[in-house]
Amino acid sequence: MSVLLSFFQKLGPEMVQRTYEHIYLTFIAMVIAVFIALPVGIYLARTRWPKLTSAILGIAGVIQTVPSLALIALIVIIFALVGLPSIGTLPAIVALVLYALLPILRNTYTSIRQIEPSIIEVATGMGMKPHQILFSVELPLSLPVIMAGIRISAVWTIGIATLVGLIGAGGLGNLIIKGLRSIQVDYLLAGTLPAAALALIFDWALGSLEKWLTPKSIRART
Amino acid sequence: MIVFQKVSKTYPGGVKAVCNLLMEVAEGEILVLLGTSGCGKTTTLKMVNRLIEPTAGHIFVQDVDIMAQDPIELRRKIGYAIQDIGLFPHMTVTENISAVPRLLKWSRERISERVDKLLTMVGLKPEEFRNRYPAQLSGGQRQRIGVARALAADPPIILMDEPFGALDPITREQLQNEFIELESQMKKTILFVTHDVFEAVKMGDRIALLDAGRLQQVATPAELVENPANEFVDDFLGQHRFQLSLLTRTIKAIMPGAISESPVSDTTRLKVFLRARSSLIEALDMFKKSKRAILPVYDGKQFLGNLKKDTLLKVISQVLGETGET
Repeated sequence: MSVLLSFFQKLGPEMVQRTYEHIYLTFIAMVIAVFIALPVGIYLARTRWPKLTSAILGIAGVIQTVPSLALIALIVIIFALVGLPSIGTLPAIVALVLYALLPILRNTYTSIRQIEPSIIEVATGMGMKPHQILFSVELPLSLPVIMAGIRISAVWTIGIATLVGLIGAGGLGNLIIKGLRSIQVDYLLAGTLPAAALALIFDWALGSLEKWLTPKSIRART
Repeated sequence: MIVFQKVSKTYPGGVKAVCNLLMEVAEGEILVLLGTSGCGKTTTLKMVNRLIEPTAGHIFVQDVDIMAQDPIELRRKIGYAIQDIGLFPHMTVTENISAVPRLLKWSRERISERVDKLLTMVGLKPEEFRNRYPAQLSGGQRQRIGVARALAADPPIILMDEPFGALDPITREQLQNEFIELESQMKKTILFVTHDVFEAVKMGDRIALLDAGRLQQVATPAELVENPANEFVDDFLGQHRFQLSLLTRTIKAIMPGAISESPVSDTTRLKVFLRARSSLIEALDMFKKSKRAILPVYDGKQFLGNLKKDTLLKVISQVLGETGET
């Protein structure tokens, strides 16, 4: 018991502070990513230029394949070159957003494209306007898959956000880095455990939200 | 009601789906577009509500050129039902049926009243089906909802693209019969696409036979069977000629020769009787069911005479001879 007690006495306040920063970074990055990827995904699903679609999905895919550490380093360099702050929250959030885009974008695009054409045809044939088809047919039907994309993104982002401690953006990464530099297991644990717990909690919470948002009638199918 | 004036549709790449179509659909009739797949029947149908736009010619709906109308407005006054049904899986039966009334901003009371009435019309109990989802319905029930949805806002015109195509033969026939019954009360103008010649004969007041985008003949089922306009029509009906003749010939048509003059009192008290409009097949069925050798024929309430089973069989064998079937 006393081990635990001293652990919390020593690192408790910092853990709370870093966890808060971690959630803050993840949350901001996710909100921005959703605001970009959702409309773009919808647009790609409806556009008549398949080349544009494959180009954008391709770019998002390439970003995903760049190792996260390298991406962060790249952004730092680019930001330094164009005169933007190269350390701190801004470059960190840009990196996290870039990483979070693909799953949301891809899931939005594919789920809308996979709706049975006959359903859209009937909706058009009965006189629904494009925005009515989007909001009352396409989005409700694709919501479970879009939500799954957001969930994957969120869990990834929590993981990658441990790296932005390296560029002074704070978060649980700070504790891990400290632990690594000075080979102190308690610091490592203080960073790793909350990060893992956060990932699990976000996954569970978004999973529940996804279930709750899925229309009862199509739950069995998804 | 619907006028096709030299309508053509050429797809990019030069495929001519519909070529110089000249045709008129009269108010209150069911006009069946019949033909093999790729003959242009679905394209013709979809041009009416502008899901596909013609590349030449004009289509008039209620005397107005459809290209001069707002497509959204146009579609909302035309019912639409298709083979895949296209029920919205995330909406209840009520929400599905009321899709167009909701677009037209009907009041809640009016919508729920209308939904209940339509469900009853298509033979489903409102209290039982109102709140179900499509996944909880059988194929036949879904198709009924599809039909109810097409009728929802009481449009004067309904387009139906093989609406009973995906059903098993028994359910299919049941729905066809119910729909004919329904239509006799509503008198909608209906454009009905099918590749099944028997369905065409059964449903259609008139049939338009298409081949490779060109109209071959438009005529009543009986005329089409008896007087094919060209070789294609003749070939198309070919092997089914005998059955089709029995389906399209009415008792009235084989009169007066076939009606006997035996005493009226014998048969007028019978509860089973034949209608003058019934086909020879239906007459044969009625003889079989009633196990009688002679039945009275009525046109509405007017007694026309008696028909003997033997006479009917003789006529049928005559038809068999004419159509050259063995």
